[in-house]
Amino acid sequence: MSELSFPYPIPEYGTEPYWAACNEERLVMQRCQACGKFRWHPAPLCIYCSHSGYDWAPLSGRGRVYTWTVITHAVHPAAVARVPYVVVEVELDEQRDLRMVSNLVDCEADAIQFDAPVRVAFETHASGQKLPVFRLT
Amino acid sequence: MDSVANQACIVGIGHTEYSRDSGRSEMTLACEAIGAAIADAGLTPADIDGITKYTMDNNDPIDIARNLGIPELRYAAEVNYGGGGGPVGTIALGAMAVATGQAKAVVAFRAMNERSGRGTPRFGQAGTAPGASGVASYFSPYGLFSPAQMVALSARRHMHLYGTESRHFGEIAVTCRHHANMNPNAMMHGRPMSIEDHQASRMIAAPLRLLDCCLETDGGAAVVITRADRARDLRHPRVFIAGAGIGAGHWNYRSMVKDMDSPVSESTVIAKHLFRDAGIKHSDIDVLFIYDHFTPLVMMAIEDFGFCKRGEGKDFVSNGRLRWPDGELPMNTSGGNLSEGYMHGMQNVIEAVRQLRGVARCQVKDARHAFVSAGNAVPTSAMILRNEL
Repeated sequence: MSELSFPYPIPEYGTEPYWAACNEERLVMQRCQACGKFRWHPAPLCIYCSHSGYDWAPLSGRGRVYTWTVITHAVHPAAVARVPYVVVEVELDEQRDLRMVSNLVDCEADAIQFDAPVRVAFETHASGQKLPVFRLT
Repeated sequence: MDSVANQACIVGIGHTEYSRDSGRSEMTLACEAIGAAIADAGLTPADIDGITKYTMDNNDPIDIARNLGIPELRYAAEVNYGGGGGPVGTIALGAMAVATGQAKAVVAFRAMNERSGRGTPRFGQAGTAPGASGVASYFSPYGLFSPAQMVALSARRHMHLYGTESRHFGEIAVTCRHHANMNPNAMMHGRPMSIEDHQASRMIAAPLRLLDCCLETDGGAAVVITRADRARDLRHPRVFIAGAGIGAGHWNYRSMVKDMDSPVSESTVIAKHLFRDAGIKHSDIDVLFIYDHFTPLVMMAIEDFGFCKRGEGKDFVSNGRLRWPDGELPMNTSGGNLSEGYMHGMQNVIEAVRQLRGVARCQVKDARHAFVSAGNAVPTSAMILRNEL
């Protein structure tokens, strides 16, 4: 690892199961045992009902493009070789307002549209950590 | 007393030049700006007993007190998320302190070498730590680092929901540049900008262009706050803090990746209380100071503070409506973060005071009420100032 990679995620108390599942190419998030809602990012209490009990529940990995940006100005050493790249906010099919930031990969910037269906894939960071990214379907 | 409304006044303003490389330390800048503000009020450092700062400011109040000769520091506080949330929050904290007798006179300030990077890292650049924790661990592995990149996500969503176009964002940039060109202290003085210039500027993070982004600046800016009755005998006409508020909510956990589908925001939280507490209507505001970090967020702030409805911002900012002297509601009349200097909004506070003293270069005729906001998309703050005219 060097400055030629974007930072790797540091697993912490409360987030380690998420990153461990990613390494098995599974997308999971916390689902509240009381109200059944998913939440993102990881949090100790449900952000909808404040209940403390949750399961790490699997997601289909399917969603839609909520918004995106095409980054052309490099602000990190690793970005110099990467620009242009697409950062996307995906709204996951399981729940309205369940949105995560990721990259949209293997696509032309001009081909991206609002609400376009996407599906998760996993890319391996130089650190060895697998990261969920998305492709247009 | 059930709010801070009209309990306190801004009685002194001071700032350094704004530059790309100040050539001196951040503490030197802080002392120059604060010293100028105290002198402007007709006070001496011995009259000051409180200092409020932005959390991101590197200058420690006790060092400032030592350097300036402030003998007794009875109150020192920081406003969180400052950064952009700081310029009004520091003043709100100062107003509360003097209103409740915890201090007699408080200085609120911002000083940094943000452009030269000599003391403060440039905000437009990413750090180079190999790993990311907290919220950054969900963003930076994907190359999402800078505020501009995050704002681009919500800007595109705004365009989608409301038909906003890049040229509407450009109207805001051009307005601020127009005002900067009448302000010799502005970094962009002498560099006119047209809407065509804005549209031709390169993409940073589409749809954000270079000219949608604020400057990066070295400098210092400060104001002095005291209780309204004490302010009566000082050098300048009184500028009352008619109301001030701080706002945040659970939606801010996404950092600057704004939840565009939430009907509430940090700005709506403030607006709900601020105008009522101040007893002032939107239509009473004569001059507008909206924190201008990125043009799309200026539009969203105008909407969420209630100057128009969501989606109407594109019309509100167009046709020169925000431009002095002919616009209905001139905005950021010294050039703002976008074109005067990026003092994290404190330069807008200073210009608002000039307007209400009647001494601004782009003076709004008979200005009585100014609205001043701190940076939105993060927990923020806003206030209404008024004079006695």
